[in-house]
Amino acid sequence: MKSSNLYIFSIYSLFFSLFLLVSCDKTISEPVRPAYIPISLDENAGSWKTYIMSSAEDVSIPAPLSVNDSSFKSEIDSLKTFYLAKLTDKHREAVSYWGAGAVYRWNEIARELAAKYNLAPAAKADGTYPVPDAANPLAEPRFPFANPPYTARALAYLTVAQYDALVSAWKYKYKFNRKAPAKLDATIVPLLPVSDLPAYPSEDAVVAGASYTILAAMFPGEIPYLKEKLTEAQSARLWAAANLPSDLRAGEALGKAVGTKVMVRAKADGMSSANNQALTAGFIDAAKARGIKEVWVSQESPKRPPMLPNYGAVTTWNFDKLTLATIRPKLPFVVTSAEFNTEKAELEKINKSQTHEQAKIASFWSDGAGSYTPPGHWSREAANLCFENKFSEIATARALALTSTAMMDAGIACWETKYYYYTPRPQQFGIKTSVGLPNFPSYTSGHSTFSAAAATVLGSIFPEKAEILNAMAKEASDSRVFGLIHFRSDCEMGLIHGKKIGEFAVNRGKNDGSKK
Amino acid sequence: MNKKFTLLFLIFILASVATIAQMPHDAIYMPKKTVCAAFNYSNSSWSKYWENTLKRDNPNMGIHTTQAYSAMLSVGFSNKLNAILNLPYMQTSTNAGNLRGQKGLQDASLWLKYKVMDKNGFSLHGILGGSVPVGSYLPDFLPMSLGLQTKTATTRLLFNYYHKSGLYATAHGSYIMRSKIKIDRDAYQADGRVYNTNQVAVPNATDNALRIGVLKQKFQAEVFSESFSCTSGDNIRRNDMPFPTNNMKANVLGFYGKYQPKNIGANFRVSQVVSGLNVGQALYLSAGFLYQFDFSKK
Repeated sequence: MKSSNLYIFSIYSLFFSLFLLVSCDKTISEPVRPAYIPISLDENAGSWKTYIMSSAEDVSIPAPLSVNDSSFKSEIDSLKTFYLAKLTDKHREAVSYWGAGAVYRWNEIARELAAKYNLAPAAKADGTYPVPDAANPLAEPRFPFANPPYTARALAYLTVAQYDALVSAWKYKYKFNRKAPAKLDATIVPLLPVSDLPAYPSEDAVVAGASYTILAAMFPGEIPYLKEKLTEAQSARLWAAANLPSDLRAGEALGKAVGTKVMVRAKADGMSSANNQALTAGFIDAAKARGIKEVWVSQESPKRPPMLPNYGAVTTWNFDKLTLATIRPKLPFVVTSAEFNTEKAELEKINKSQTHEQAKIASFWSDGAGSYTPPGHWSREAANLCFENKFSEIATARALALTSTAMMDAGIACWETKYYYYTPRPQQFGIKTSVGLPNFPSYTSGHSTFSAAAATVLGSIFPEKAEILNAMAKEASDSRVFGLIHFRSDCEMGLIHGKKIGEFAVNRGKNDGSKK
Repeated sequence: MNKKFTLLFLIFILASVATIAQMPHDAIYMPKKTVCAAFNYSNSSWSKYWENTLKRDNPNMGIHTTQAYSAMLSVGFSNKLNAILNLPYMQTSTNAGNLRGQKGLQDASLWLKYKVMDKNGFSLHGILGGSVPVGSYLPDFLPMSLGLQTKTATTRLLFNYYHKSGLYATAHGSYIMRSKIKIDRDAYQADGRVYNTNQVAVPNATDNALRIGVLKQKFQAEVFSESFSCTSGDNIRRNDMPFPTNNMKANVLGFYGKYQPKNIGANFRVSQVVSGLNVGQALYLSAGFLYQFDFSKK
């Protein structure tokens, strides 16, 4: 009797420990990003080459008040009595969040919105698909459908606006040379590390203003949310006693003005006709004339029109349309050839017995519906590398602009290639997928092109990481074979294409005046 | 050849086992020093599902089917304390579209059932359950995933009234704690935001049921109503796939029957999800063979 009681007791104890194990907590730990003083202030960045602005002083801002002016002194006092005196935990949280960096956080916000809006419209009862309406962004289907080309483009304009606005800000910072409040008044103890970078106009407000303008145009349903972020980003600088209200006012105005100029290019870059479905019949005929025996057909039910068939006509950043045609990958072989059968056999083998490792890699890089897409994935890598290397705001914006414009170019060139050849996906030959099937032609792989372009640019900025970055791009490329939605040559040729596209951005970076 | 051996092995196992079907949700106990082994096949299929509150079908999946082959072992430690072990091998598939079906071992579970009190036909039972993932399946390839890769711990209180005529009524309430999980990606979208981590919080759940039936020496028949409900979670977005953070709810009606003339027996279950949230409207069918070993005479 006693021994059986002991038995029961030990079984119950076992269960009790299991309960503790399970119930412990559901806290999700995410990376912490503490503020830092940049390794370099990039003092000469006011002379770096801009993308859109004709010069760093294309937008003018008023000269700041002299530090001897009595209203300036009262502005300093307001910081002490009004902001520092009233801090709560919530304020401190916002200070610490934005302390990670303005470019860092606004790109993160952009990726979050991309993930939120990356859902394909549902079919209507009559079997057709509705098109998202920019004038009515919150009605189903919501605008935009932030698919990879859309997200690549949004991130490119965002980072270009951030970069151009910061070049201008740096110009004015060193022109007016007004220090941060803590450097002017020793009784001010800021909550964030403050460098010797002149504070007028505030780089955080410049980035906030530019980012708000671009993201409000790209995600019009999110304007109230973005306004909240715009206010919070700047308030956090006051709560941290890192900037004066006048630093922020001038910064926000400058950022918004640059953002507006950048949006002029965006509105005329051809995106408005990227979804011109009337062109597809002509694309198919042209592909057949090029020897394509079997063309891509939507595998969705009901058949969905292909994603952005005319995205290949959108204006590129780092090369012209002639170059686009010159570097377009050649199609190595067509359906029914011996090479095709070999590649099909590789997929059939994985289809039959996908290994756990293959499933994991396919899942890690899937970046499919509901995610921030491959351009978002690489934008995050880029931002993290800048953070880990303690880059200044302007150096971070430069790295992200070079990477993001290369990725938009990669998207354009890859899409142009896809519709040039119009080749079928493996699913037209009985292959299933473990990641979800994109609804557009197969050759070449978008993942491969985006990834090689991004890895090439980032490898030039962080040479010590180049090998790892290239290996990541290769893995992202392989993941599409492991996930069974691309043939091997789609991926290999995409990688080569993406590397070439990245080199154009690398060359721009070499000649943008940032070299010391 | 292999299949033949497996079959022979199964027959051998079945022939050497005995039958008192007892489940983590009933008031039936294996007598002391008896062991029951069971083999169960189940088939759960749906073509309509609730995407948030919208009931829809999806021609890109057609009919979604989950089949499970479970090995179950019940052990009577005493007439008041039983343990139940269960390990399913599962397989998912669709009859349309191109999502790759998954197969493999899912989660092993262990239940302990203890009779706290038994008086004038009224009895009260305390039940503890735990499960751990055994297979290395993908948890976030829903609805093709075999499971959610979460460890669970369940506490359940069960009331039973048994009338000597054989009629009985059972009610239970349970709370299921579910651990956070790790997915193979390092970021995901849930609750309208992006989480920059591979850790996913899976919501806890409750599970309640009411059963009415008749239990005799050789057979049992009951009708039941079950309801599973997450205590929190987000909803599937318009035209998105499900995700482990979803607030899944399902109300189920069904019938259960068992026939057990001797040591060997069989059971059958049919149930239908009648309403739900973020789940498929599944029709569930299962059949099992049971065999009871009696070690008490030795």
